[in-house]
Amino acid sequence: MAATDVIPPSEDAKLNMTPMIDITFLLVVFFMLTIDLSTKEYIPVELPYATEGVEDKEDPNTIVPRFIVNLTREGKIIFRGQEFDLASADPGIQDDNIQALKTALRQVHNEGGGTALLREPDGASKVPVMIHADWGAKWKYVQWIMQACADPQIKIYKLHFAVKKPPTEDGN
Amino acid sequence: MAVKLPEVEESELNMTPMIDIVFQLIIFFLLSLKFKTIDRRIESMLPKDRGLAPTPSFPEDFLKVKIKVFRRDMDDTEKAYTLVKIDNDSTTFSLPMNWKGHEKETADRVAEYDGKIAAIRSIVAGKMKAHGGNPEEVKGEIVAPPPKGGAVPHGDVVQVLNIFLELGMLDVVFEGAASPLTTTERNARSAGG
Repeated sequence: MAATDVIPPSEDAKLNMTPMIDITFLLVVFFMLTIDLSTKEYIPVELPYATEGVEDKEDPNTIVPRFIVNLTREGKIIFRGQEFDLASADPGIQDDNIQALKTALRQVHNEGGGTALLREPDGASKVPVMIHADWGAKWKYVQWIMQACADPQIKIYKLHFAVKKPPTEDGN
Repeated sequence: MAVKLPEVEESELNMTPMIDIVFQLIIFFLLSLKFKTIDRRIESMLPKDRGLAPTPSFPEDFLKVKIKVFRRDMDDTEKAYTLVKIDNDSTTFSLPMNWKGHEKETADRVAEYDGKIAAIRSIVAGKMKAHGGNPEEVKGEIVAPPPKGGAVPHGDVVQVLNIFLELGMLDVVFEGAASPLTTTERNARSAGG
């Protein structure tokens, strides 16, 4: 390397950094505000199509974010980072995993000690469960999730099924 | 002893590390920005009062439309398909093994699927019309008798549910798969270790 390659920095050629930093900070703030960390809970699956699906808007009266239960095509439940495999050939293991899911649901529901706020007077939960299941998942697994939600110790009766808007020929 | 401090020419902050960090933050937020994967949902309410009772009862003047779904050839993933039976009618519908829009389905397959769903819908609509046409007086029932019913893909059941919803029948009951173990079996299992 020859020393002559280095161009000596000229004193006066200094960029004014201030506007760039302003813009950059604005960008940071924009991304911080728009980021929705709850979408991280969704595992990529192929959702079923349904024409009657309603737009998935957040309920303004919501107290805590709904619980998202993912179900893959192979029959694996992913809930709050925990995995519960339902595809075992042994009904005993399948049952263990459903009991574990129930425990996890109960724990999450009791988190923060705000239990009384999250329940109707009759004990039913106000928090919905979003079943985010692959179209090819076996229906019985979905039914087991529904049964787990309706467990007398959990009492979640509000369910949302994640669906996709069907593709149409006319592009609507 | 007096120390002579070197004279500060320009008291300027070195911006470079800060800009580095800020850019990293931008990159982090950009990468974690995930566009919404779901835009639609079907809302449903599990029955509070009757819980998971095996056979829910309906008022007598209500019409009950029962749609049974089975998976045929369920052990063979290449040949498996869903069979749909409405009430006890002799006509059955077999939905193509794969699902519209997925798995690179051919256009005629998708058309076949849609056609069968439309046929089921018109039969259900006909039954509703014969009963007076008020969807509030019709209850839908989706029966998936184990073990073959349990293997039906979730998407097929959602399509059948969608038929009921399209016709305005909001009271739909699911019937089918019991949990993998009965309470007695579960207790026996945990007692045995």
